[in-house]
Amino acid sequence: MENERAREKLIKWAVKSPLTYRLLRPVLDLLTRKNDNEPFKIWVRFLLDAMNNSYARKQPVVWMSAFTPSEIAYGMGYVPFMPEIIASVVTYLGKSKGPIALANAYASSDLCSFHRCALGLVMEDYLPKPDLIISSSYLCEGANKFFHYLASYYRCPHLMVDAPYRGGSAAKKYVADQLKELVDKSSRLLGLVPDMSVMSQALELSNKARAYIAEINRLRRSRPSPFPGSEGLSYLAGMVFYSLGSKWGVDFFKTLHLSLEQKVAKGEGYLPEEKYRLLWLHHIRPYYKNEIFKILEEKKAAVSFEETNYLYWPALEPSKPYESLADKIISNIWAGSLERRVHAIEEMVEEYDIDGVIHFSHWGCRQSCGGAAVVGDVLKQKGLPYIVLPGDGADPDNFSPGQTRTRLEALIEMLG
Amino acid sequence: MQDRLTFKEILQDLAKAQASGEGKPLVGWTCTYLPVEILEAAGLQPYRILPEPSSEKADGYLDPNMCPLVKTNLGKAITGGYSFLSGIIILNTCDGMRRLYDAWRFYCPSPFSFLLDVPKTVTSLSVSYFKERLKELATQVEKHFKVEITTDSLNQAIEEANLTRSLSRRLISLQGRGAPPVKHSELLDLLSLGSRTPRSVFNKALEKMVRVLEGEPAGVSNAYRLLLTGSSLDGSALVRLIEELGGEVTISDICPGTRFVDYVEPSADPLFSLSHAYLHKTACARMFDSESRISALKESLLKSKAQGVVYFSLKFCDPFLYEAPFLEEALRELDIPVLFLEGEYTGRVGGGVRTRVQAFLEMLEKNGK
Repeated sequence: MENERAREKLIKWAVKSPLTYRLLRPVLDLLTRKNDNEPFKIWVRFLLDAMNNSYARKQPVVWMSAFTPSEIAYGMGYVPFMPEIIASVVTYLGKSKGPIALANAYASSDLCSFHRCALGLVMEDYLPKPDLIISSSYLCEGANKFFHYLASYYRCPHLMVDAPYRGGSAAKKYVADQLKELVDKSSRLLGLVPDMSVMSQALELSNKARAYIAEINRLRRSRPSPFPGSEGLSYLAGMVFYSLGSKWGVDFFKTLHLSLEQKVAKGEGYLPEEKYRLLWLHHIRPYYKNEIFKILEEKKAAVSFEETNYLYWPALEPSKPYESLADKIISNIWAGSLERRVHAIEEMVEEYDIDGVIHFSHWGCRQSCGGAAVVGDVLKQKGLPYIVLPGDGADPDNFSPGQTRTRLEALIEMLG
Repeated sequence: MQDRLTFKEILQDLAKAQASGEGKPLVGWTCTYLPVEILEAAGLQPYRILPEPSSEKADGYLDPNMCPLVKTNLGKAITGGYSFLSGIIILNTCDGMRRLYDAWRFYCPSPFSFLLDVPKTVTSLSVSYFKERLKELATQVEKHFKVEITTDSLNQAIEEANLTRSLSRRLISLQGRGAPPVKHSELLDLLSLGSRTPRSVFNKALEKMVRVLEGEPAGVSNAYRLLLTGSSLDGSALVRLIEELGGEVTISDICPGTRFVDYVEPSADPLFSLSHAYLHKTACARMFDSESRISALKESLLKSKAQGVVYFSLKFCDPFLYEAPFLEEALRELDIPVLFLEGEYTGRVGGGVRTRVQAFLEMLEKNGK
């Protein structure tokens, strides 16, 4: 028991020490020197750097919800910390069960397991304390309440961008005015003077990354599919959420673009043989060990694209950061009415020459799963095979391997 | 005895009136952030969409982890239960309601559908923005129903609604002053009917009722006084159970119920007045600022001298489920016991809930609360 406690204490110390991440960097570089997946290596370095900065606390640490544009934090010189993304990394490392079990004592087990995992990590005091929390109100109803509770837990301020349901000039003005207020308020709260030239630089960096994302998405239309959907749903999506507005983002997307360009030029697919092309709906997949992608590979079905990587926002205008970021927020296809998402899905089906669609229904996610039936009926009317795959992104105890296999096999049968 | 009969008669009269809508087109709505005055000013009859819990659930059309109220609403709509409505207005209340709006339009389109975008914050920016959205609603209503909404008709509707609000507050204030002349379960039934009944009919009934009940002397009650808060209740079954087991709900902050606007100022810019008043009303958990909701609850607790809190959340209701630990902590600091219940939209109270309510009341007794 004593030993167990000492071990836990040591692990916690290591997790919370910036030194750990600085030491891990050369070690991982050495261990992965033969791995030619350069984009993945950049993701790992990016994460190590983010953790180092978050625990070193040389700049204000600002916790952000996943759908809040990260450009705001980079533009303000803050260190963004995204607990929902960190929860997915913890799940990937096979460590989500403990924090989720702890959180279940305080929160309903019907709530999003990424939030519960992050809550458990907070309660176990593994995460860097926030100086400020920023969230946005769209897409996920639970996120605001979750972050508001955390603000009360840490006794730190929480600012929110209220994202409207509809676009239009009134909506854009409403968001742009809030973003300006947010910049002013957060600077006052953290005792900093905002430097708008840094904000403009962040928007420029975001634009550079965006241009590569557009090219990456174009390359992914190739047959055979050059990039695995399982990775599109993990580190690629992670970088879209977490890195835009930083040099890391540009570096990552540039490298990924180069790598895909080479693969496409050689006609290389990520599967040994590709018979079907699938589209994955929802922002996430299960991050713990599971056989979903192995089963699909056995059936020669490639996940050619994921809706989470759909490029929905226009290029930003660095001289007009508030209006520009407001545009980004209100053009989100998952916010507002389902028609917008359905149109985007139809476009993806067309562009990626999709044979079948999987909607991963993450338990606890109402915004996406609530539309799964309508999306399915629209696609079925077009004769496209479609399945809902129920599961859980972070909680391995809420995953049924047998049912998952049956559903995937049913999809393959429909594909003929 | 005479008053009890009067109350029952009033409920029966209202039930008859709600179906008629005085011959006006009935427009369904889902959330108390809708200023119904806009519909009334347009000569339409607002009709709160609250399905009977026994209605069919739209399990095949919405994910299993969606709010049961949303599924029941859609189930009733798909099976033709709302075919008498000339239109629906769904609010941007939560993920569930947004998806209800999508599915309703896809599976059983209504002649008029509108989603009213309600901000989550209460600031000068959000009040201005909400006013713009109300203007959009008014324009769409005018266009579809070929009616005109004027400043005068809006102000008249506001004044009539103010009368309802003031009478309702007077009725609510009779709660918890001793043996209640009107039980909370009855009050909830009344307010629920009021949300579907022509205003003039409802106001007359309320006035009659308040006059009679205010004349009654305050009685003595030994029941445990409770505050009920949370998401939409499927009727008043839970409140009746509390009453049956020796508790008394002295005040509630649930929907439908007492979470309504206090007063709207008639003005030269009535849409601004409506925007301001509705965003400043007692907050639902869907709003950003949990603190103002909790502080309003604390005030209600002190006023009503409630000895404990019953917090009910529908399953999968994110705003209330996420807010539960927040509220529980705030009440713990005040040394107020809380009973947290999570349930389906069934209209029945299961054995488990009965036992928990019973145990909660016993705990209050033991603690001498």
